[in-house]
Amino acid sequence: MVNLSDIPLKSRRMRDLIEKFGYLGLGSSALIGLLFLCILVWQILAPTVINGVEGEISAVNEYIPETEFILEWDNPNWDPVTEEFLTNEIILELKWKDENGSHSYNLEIKILEERYIEGEVYVSNLGISNNIVNVSKKTHLSIYSNLEYPVEIKQIKGPVPKADEVGLPEAGNFVVTADFHILFDDENKSVFTVQDLFAWSLLLIITLIIIYPKEGILQVIERGGEQKKLIWGISILFSLISLFGENIGFKDSGWKGYIVILIWISIVRSVFAIRDGVKRLKKANKPLSNKTALSQSISNREGLLLGNYFLLFFGLWTIPIEIDAPFLVERYQNIFQPYSSGIRAAFFGTIWVMSIAMVVSLPVSVGAAIYLEEYAKPTRLTKLIQALVTNLAGVPSIVFGMFGLAIFVKEGGFGWGLGQTVIAGGLTMGVMAMPIVVLASQEALRSVPKSIREAAFGIGCTKWKVVRDHVLPFAIPGILTGSILAMSRIMGEAAPLIVVGAASVIYFDPEPFAAFTGSKFVNFTVVPVQIYQWTGLEGDAWKSMTAAASLALIMLLVGMNSIAIILRQHFRKRLLS
Amino acid sequence: MVKNKIDWPYLILFLMGASVILITVGIIQTLLVETLGFFSEVAESRGWFNIEWDISGIFSNDGFGCLIIFSCLILELIFSKEKQLTSNFPSFLVNVNNKIKIIISLFLLLFLFFLESFWIGVSLICLTLIVYRISIIKDVYLRGAEEKAVWIRPFFLFCGLSALLASITSGFGGALGEFFFQTEWLPSASCPDRRSLCESMSFGVNGLLLTTMQVAFGALIIAIPLGVGTAVYLSEFASPRIVAIVKPTLEILAGIPSVVYGFFALIYIGPLVVELGNIFYENGWIDAAPSVLNPLNGAIVVGIMVLPLIASLSEDALRAVPNELREGSHALGATKIETTTNVMIPASLSGILASIILALSRAVGETMAVTLAVGTMAAFTANMFLPAQTMTAYIAQRVGGDLPFGEIGYYTIFAVGMYLFVITLSLNLLGNKILEAYREAY
Repeated sequence: MVNLSDIPLKSRRMRDLIEKFGYLGLGSSALIGLLFLCILVWQILAPTVINGVEGEISAVNEYIPETEFILEWDNPNWDPVTEEFLTNEIILELKWKDENGSHSYNLEIKILEERYIEGEVYVSNLGISNNIVNVSKKTHLSIYSNLEYPVEIKQIKGPVPKADEVGLPEAGNFVVTADFHILFDDENKSVFTVQDLFAWSLLLIITLIIIYPKEGILQVIERGGEQKKLIWGISILFSLISLFGENIGFKDSGWKGYIVILIWISIVRSVFAIRDGVKRLKKANKPLSNKTALSQSISNREGLLLGNYFLLFFGLWTIPIEIDAPFLVERYQNIFQPYSSGIRAAFFGTIWVMSIAMVVSLPVSVGAAIYLEEYAKPTRLTKLIQALVTNLAGVPSIVFGMFGLAIFVKEGGFGWGLGQTVIAGGLTMGVMAMPIVVLASQEALRSVPKSIREAAFGIGCTKWKVVRDHVLPFAIPGILTGSILAMSRIMGEAAPLIVVGAASVIYFDPEPFAAFTGSKFVNFTVVPVQIYQWTGLEGDAWKSMTAAASLALIMLLVGMNSIAIILRQHFRKRLLS
Repeated sequence: MVKNKIDWPYLILFLMGASVILITVGIIQTLLVETLGFFSEVAESRGWFNIEWDISGIFSNDGFGCLIIFSCLILELIFSKEKQLTSNFPSFLVNVNNKIKIIISLFLLLFLFFLESFWIGVSLICLTLIVYRISIIKDVYLRGAEEKAVWIRPFFLFCGLSALLASITSGFGGALGEFFFQTEWLPSASCPDRRSLCESMSFGVNGLLLTTMQVAFGALIIAIPLGVGTAVYLSEFASPRIVAIVKPTLEILAGIPSVVYGFFALIYIGPLVVELGNIFYENGWIDAAPSVLNPLNGAIVVGIMVLPLIASLSEDALRAVPNELREGSHALGATKIETTTNVMIPASLSGILASIILALSRAVGETMAVTLAVGTMAAFTANMFLPAQTMTAYIAQRVGGDLPFGEIGYYTIFAVGMYLFVITLSLNLLGNKILEAYREAY
């Protein structure tokens, strides 16, 4: 044994130093992460409390003489019947009364295709400044009046606007992040349906029983489990109630009904699994109080638990806790009103781009990984492919963006001429994700034990059968994890999509196949690009919105990463056992 | 007889694997074609390449640096031949202790990053090398062994000739000369005809390259001590419980999107750097007031970004060292810290080096954080408190607006992208090669 006092003082001090240094490294990483979250949250809260709205309203008062009307249409040129954008004019009638009698003017509003054209009309004793005004889609028409009399504005043609005297949101009525309603909403009404909550709680109880089995409860389940038809009947009945409850006097749960059906299926599966496990134990004459024996006797316990966890988690966000997230899925960007902006277009754009990227890259990448790991002989070509994969993973993302710009977007030459569309962005991201997915899949395939392959060859399987039936089932968890991680990595990338041409201001949902359908609304945007664009805007309000969007993006990524980590640990446990 | 059937799975999988080649060829072809388009368009009005000579430049800073490098070369030649000399060489110059080395390296950093004479900085590197070399030669001579450094003379010769060339040429012209040797980057000057070139435009990519390198190396200066320190701690000292907490934290830090880092730099790091810059400005060390957007800001944020990469790759390298080495060192009576510094770090040095090179490549290619932190105004200046623009930021900013195909602006992003691609690809190749060689060693 080395006595501590035998060690020279100098090296002991060094060891302390290095330990401290290590702590410093760790601490700084953790602190930076924490600092991030704090700053983001602070950014969201601070301006709205201190100087957000009041400052802006005073700014408005400075420039506008007396009364201002800002007219706002949800979709001024959207026809809900034919689902088309119209360019028809809107006609307003402006009326007021003064000493000289009543005046009435018609104001014609033309909707243009160009962006950023705002309309301004001044009303004075002399009349209105212009009879025809041009505005672009989703912008504002401001009518300024310096009359001492109220002006009556009435629309006589076109869709009806929402008029607001000031036009800016009040301090209390904007929502930056998601609202959580636990069991009851703002008006004290329940946000769940009873049958859904019942199913969710039942699943929770069953899951707890699987984890912490008690003898008495197991006896009950074993006896009750004999009534197979009854259990199926009850669950089908409740599922039907959740789906079509409205017709028979129950509250309808809407789209949540599908989750509830999955929950019922899980409950039934869990009950039967427990029953079979208990039966098996009894056959072997083992005591029910032995916990390890019980947990081993339940077949596919880990898989059941995993499924239950997922359902409980997803059910949590819809059944007992209602998420109301207008910022994420309801509001478009509003360049004039930061606090009523949202990232709906960007959010759906991200989802579409990611889906296309994965559909394009996943099969090819996994195929390439299988080729490299299972089939390829160590020739010069294989080495070249391997080296290219490794090095492509380190190429800056913006270079992939330029590749996409020249190949997918551009027309003529080598270009495919898809334009600045979702599909071009998705293909670019797919190409970018490919080397990452290949490397992850290779790692997964490499970790499959050699004995499995040899055993399969031993009973006379062909190479493809070995790969398909014996290697892939083992490697799929790793491949899945790698793919999710790759997906979350490219989800945060803004650079390639900026190059490919993600637009900054979008007022409509992206159309994924606009490149082929000939639709006019080809542009798209994604959340990171939206964040990038918002950082360039002036004002504290936009900073707070940027922080909100960043937080939303980080939450999405952390959620995806945690799913990947849970999957990895689950399957690692299964492989080891 | 079994009919020789086509192995369809093999063929399909092979084609999937070969698609990687297709993508690489596509990227290179794209960049190459558009870059050639850029150069030929510029060459139409300015020619391809020309040099203007100016012999009096030999007395400038660069000439001084060149002199130092050549004297280093001569010293090397003398001392490696006349071993007798080395034993008489003043011992204070030969036995350079660590503190002096550190001071010299700090001076080097000063010259490389804050002063505008690049070749004096390089000459100082050469000077350090030669002092170190002389001490080795002396050592070796006394022990009677032979020590060779094959690369050192060609390296000195190359540096000296480059410095000489740099000092006696006053200007480069033509498409290639302007792009690679001039320092003013002004591709969006207003011209009467938007599509064509005019005299007021200039395409000296060094204006972007300098900022890129300032950001990348500055990031490494921040990230290497923290990253390697974390790795050493995680693999040698930390308990498994701490590792289980810290590794996911690092993964999460690595997973934060770069645009969010950029936002962080803009609202948080930028003002801090400005306060630092104000101290510099008040003392007269820099001659312009600092701005919120600056390369130092970018360096800090990119340093934070590449920290997890260095930490995880270095930790892998340290863990890959066979346990026998560690145990052997302990058996000889070495303490834990002696084992770490004398055995583990030297044994995994190539892996750590590779991680640093890969981090450098990542830092050079980083886009969004740098665009938001460094600014959008290309400037060739050593003052790291003024707004500048990196190569990636130029591309992102230029395509941010609507970019019509076939204009000169469209071509410039591909020329810059090609340069960037070449730099990062060579760094990646180097790093991966080191990693591979090192994997084979154990």
